[in-house]
Amino acid sequence: MAGTGGNLSGRGHEFAPDARIGVFICHCGGNISDVVDVKRVADEIGTLPGVVLSMTHMFVCSDPGQGLIEQHIKELTLDRVVVAACSPTLHQATFRRTLTRAGLNPYLFEHVNIREQVSWVVVDKEKATRKAIRLIRAAVERTRRLAPLDKRRIPIYPAALVIGGGVAGLVAARDLATRGMKVTLVEHRPFLGGRMAQLHTVFPTGEQARDLLAGLVHDVVRHPLITVLANAQVVHSEGVVGDFQVRVRIEPRGADERLKDQGNAIAACPEETLNDFNFGLSRRKAIYMAYPGCYPPIPAIDWHSCTKCGKCVAAVGGKGITLDEPPRDVQLRCGVIVMATGHDPYEPLYGEFGYGIFPRVITLQQLNRLLDPEGPTGGQLLSGGPPPRRVAFIHCVGARQLDGQSTGRAKDYCARTCCTAALHAALAIKEHHPETQITSFYQDIRTYGRGHEVYYERAAEQGVLFIRYKPEHPPRVVPDPQGRWPLVVQADDLLTGGLSLEAPTDLVVLATGVGHHDIAELIGIYCCAVGADSFLMEIHPKLRPVEMSTAGVFLAGSCQGPMNISEACAMASAAASKAAAHIAAAQIEMDPFIAKVDEAICTGCQTCLTVCPYGAITRDQARKIAKVNEALCIGCGTCAAACPSNAIQQLGFTDAQVLSEIETLLEGAAVI
Amino acid sequence: MNAQGGSGGTNGKLKVAKYWASSCGGCDISLLEIGPHLLELIEAADVVFWPCAADFKYDDVARYPDGYIDVCLFNGGVRSSEQEEIARLLRKKSKTLVAYGTCAIDGGIPALANLTTPSEIYDVVYHRNPSLDNPNGVEPAPVFETPYGELHLPRLYPQVLRLKDVVEVDYQIPGCPPQANQVWKVLQAVVAGQVPARNDAVTVGCGDKVVCDECPREKRQVRVKGFTRPHLAIPEPGWCLLEQGFVCMGPATRSGCEALCVKANLGCRGCYTAPSGVEDRGTAMIGAIGSIIDATVEERAHEIVGQIVDPIGTFYRFSMASSSLKGRR
Amino acid sequence: MVDEQVVHTKAADAAVAGWEPRIIAFLCYWCSYTGADNAGTARLKYPANVDIIRVMCSGRIDPELIMTAFARGADGVLVCGCHIGDCHYLAGNHKTMARMPLVRSVLADLGIEPERFVHEWVSAAEGEKFAQIVRQTTEQIRQVGPLNWPKRMHERGVGHGMDLQPWGDRR
Repeated sequence: MAGTGGNLSGRGHEFAPDARIGVFICHCGGNISDVVDVKRVADEIGTLPGVVLSMTHMFVCSDPGQGLIEQHIKELTLDRVVVAACSPTLHQATFRRTLTRAGLNPYLFEHVNIREQVSWVVVDKEKATRKAIRLIRAAVERTRRLAPLDKRRIPIYPAALVIGGGVAGLVAARDLATRGMKVTLVEHRPFLGGRMAQLHTVFPTGEQARDLLAGLVHDVVRHPLITVLANAQVVHSEGVVGDFQVRVRIEPRGADERLKDQGNAIAACPEETLNDFNFGLSRRKAIYMAYPGCYPPIPAIDWHSCTKCGKCVAAVGGKGITLDEPPRDVQLRCGVIVMATGHDPYEPLYGEFGYGIFPRVITLQQLNRLLDPEGPTGGQLLSGGPPPRRVAFIHCVGARQLDGQSTGRAKDYCARTCCTAALHAALAIKEHHPETQITSFYQDIRTYGRGHEVYYERAAEQGVLFIRYKPEHPPRVVPDPQGRWPLVVQADDLLTGGLSLEAPTDLVVLATGVGHHDIAELIGIYCCAVGADSFLMEIHPKLRPVEMSTAGVFLAGSCQGPMNISEACAMASAAASKAAAHIAAAQIEMDPFIAKVDEAICTGCQTCLTVCPYGAITRDQARKIAKVNEALCIGCGTCAAACPSNAIQQLGFTDAQVLSEIETLLEGAAVI
Repeated sequence: MNAQGGSGGTNGKLKVAKYWASSCGGCDISLLEIGPHLLELIEAADVVFWPCAADFKYDDVARYPDGYIDVCLFNGGVRSSEQEEIARLLRKKSKTLVAYGTCAIDGGIPALANLTTPSEIYDVVYHRNPSLDNPNGVEPAPVFETPYGELHLPRLYPQVLRLKDVVEVDYQIPGCPPQANQVWKVLQAVVAGQVPARNDAVTVGCGDKVVCDECPREKRQVRVKGFTRPHLAIPEPGWCLLEQGFVCMGPATRSGCEALCVKANLGCRGCYTAPSGVEDRGTAMIGAIGSIIDATVEERAHEIVGQIVDPIGTFYRFSMASSSLKGRR
Repeated sequence: MVDEQVVHTKAADAAVAGWEPRIIAFLCYWCSYTGADNAGTARLKYPANVDIIRVMCSGRIDPELIMTAFARGADGVLVCGCHIGDCHYLAGNHKTMARMPLVRSVLADLGIEPERFVHEWVSAAEGEKFAQIVRQTTEQIRQVGPLNWPKRMHERGVGHGMDLQPWGDRR
């Protein structure tokens, strides 16, 4: 692995008294210079010792601007550069590359923000100018304490692991394999397909979900580079980014490909349990197939329900079913990991809008199973009866909740897909039962996507009534006091100034939000960042949406947040693309701002070991000092702040560097 | 001991002085603690000034030639005009000046007075203390007229200072007090001429790690779930006291004492000065302790941290004068 | 005969003409620094008194940095980080969360008014919140007046004593 450079002693003193510093101050086309007197700033900074060049430029980030920096570095043998311009989040990387082209280490550079944090926010020009001078002076002092650093380059083992066999995981695996990568796909349930398999038609095309899925599954399982492990979970992972040694535990399936007489085996089983594929609307046996056309096309045994009575074995003459097989572990090695672990729909609380109390209150997910001709009721909404006269949808159940209303802050986000999904389901009802009256109780209709708005229009055209409610006054679901209807939905219609309405109904459908799927162990194993909404968190929502801060781990699909199938596929392809790029480059590049132990001072107190959330620090037992694993260190600097002997420093943010900023900013502040 | 403080006494023996400034007397006793080695010391050195144990006067010292004293052990913080004057005097008259004991190096316990003011102190000591018998509210006066002339008393400073705040210091021996075996090691080096004069406050008589290095207990790298105090709970043997919730300054305190207190099941109090890369060990310890608390929500963090009794007195017990902020405004 | 501390009234200090609060802020790069940028992009206006030092994570903020800021003359210190649960580095802000109460307790015992030390969580989208924090912090520190710690320490003799003559020379 390439070194991280820099010699440290003590507090990270790398003091360069003879540094030749060049300072470039940007006008930013007036954005800065209209408020900050950049000429005066340049003149003042030019008087500082060691500042060999101090100049302004209209747009330092432009090609000519960068060219000027390069030119001056060479002509004036500058060994430190300061650019005062917009926020470093925009162009810090740009200027670092400029330094590299000029032959200077890219980390001998300071970027001062005098736009977003000075010229755009300070009104008084004199104060803004003085502030700019202060900040640049501090940066100049900081540069004297910079050491050359190298990005860490970590070799990548050329194989990928995809965790999750829903649509996102399948797309990611397929895309990786198409690029020639070896892929292992691990799915913790016995069958692939995830949540998409539980739908019947998808919007906006109206295609059959399982048909689409079947095509995708076919591509994946037939691909020579992809290995599918179903009924499998990651239980342990070791090694560093770029080279993970992963142990996968495969639970025994119970049945194998030798089982020919699947029907008899299933019929013979005396145990039954709620079928969670149908969200509890039906029951299934302990030995089961999840859905028609599922893959692997071999029944699985649900060991929680199975009593090992052996009746299934007897029914098929002992061939193809094994009740006593232990789990087996498979060790695999990979360089990149794609998390595609999906989501769980929100389960309404007992009594929430009558859920659990009244059998006619169901979730949208359950409705979709009822509408499915291959579902538990063969497509009938009210089994064994006439079609419903009226159906009421209530939107935003378990989403956009006010604090304290139901489950609190964690579900205050919009679940994105449910408006379109609810309208799609409403239209499906109308298609089969045009006479059914549908009322939608909503907060806002968010049919935001391409081809989604038409569902709203069509629903309105077909007579769906829309009643808008305020989040503080959600609808109430009560039994009909006159007993003519199963239920009555009471609401205050916002659009008519809060007029109280009552909608008698045969069926209430709760359009529920989504929550994260619980993968606490995986999160622990890979130190995944998790947002306050409990979904996995990307590095940057705009610029780096499929990468996680744990290097080499990527995000695909709804484990990152609510999204529909199109979005999940897009993210999965993006993740596969990023992951493949890493493998193709044969190495990952990471920022060099990692922790470094000064072995002369380290006292071996082990405080840093306890502090590091990534387990990047271990103890050298022989020398009794701390040791940083440079590939695991994420560069937060928490250990550096915690160390009670100041022996561990964060490169690029050493005590000496930060203290010099503090001291320079405050020069002249206190008058003695 | 040579009772004559005259100038130029050359009998080949080292001239040694010991002075106590703002202190408790423990450092003087610690010198005696070297026990039978005292006899060896006497063979090699003459005491030329030691207010605690011998009857030399300030004037005696003032009459010595500059640099007459080979080694001066100065213990205690500097917090009065007298102490500052004598510190400067002894610097002039000594080849090697040693800040002896943590009070001289970091202010020690007396430096906790930096959290109050001289007038507050006087108020308590001379007026409000329940055990006082001072009906006329007499306070020490700076100047007192007698028929025979004026008497002056030293002024109390608002700040307890370190020796190096007033004069250049050559060496520092930490400890409250320094442990006898360490003291003797240093004195042996001095006697053997192995300690050169005029060095920049080099710390000797201690280790170069922290107390954790000498501590027999083991770390399990677990976070602290709550803090307790020695009289409230019995520590589990073999396991790091800090991880169990007994505040222990070990990680931020220089080794050299052989972890005496910890071996007696008491968390280190932090008397052996700071580790080599640290000026302000109180603040360093706050950074460390805050980092190992087991809390993922703010209320819990506040709750656990709130169980530390008297943080300022705990973390800065011996080092107030070396801390970043030095004292109360 | 006590060497009285010179009593510093706010008026006396602020009498130094044109005194402006000097506040040092430590912001974590991913959330709070971006939140501050967000305020700028929205062209929100706030006083110039807060100088921002960026660190990668609020977990890097050693209490020593805060103490040093005050010791060097800051009138106030502001610490910002990601909201709990949102830390880019998983748990850096958990450490900040536990360190700050200890810092606060020590500062209080040192006579530093609580208004001078502000600790807030700011997300990348909370530009308005950041601007408001700056305005409020600047104003409340303007009310409590200058701290000027170096001056106080100088008057107490820290680092130089009272520069008295050694005993012998007085005779």
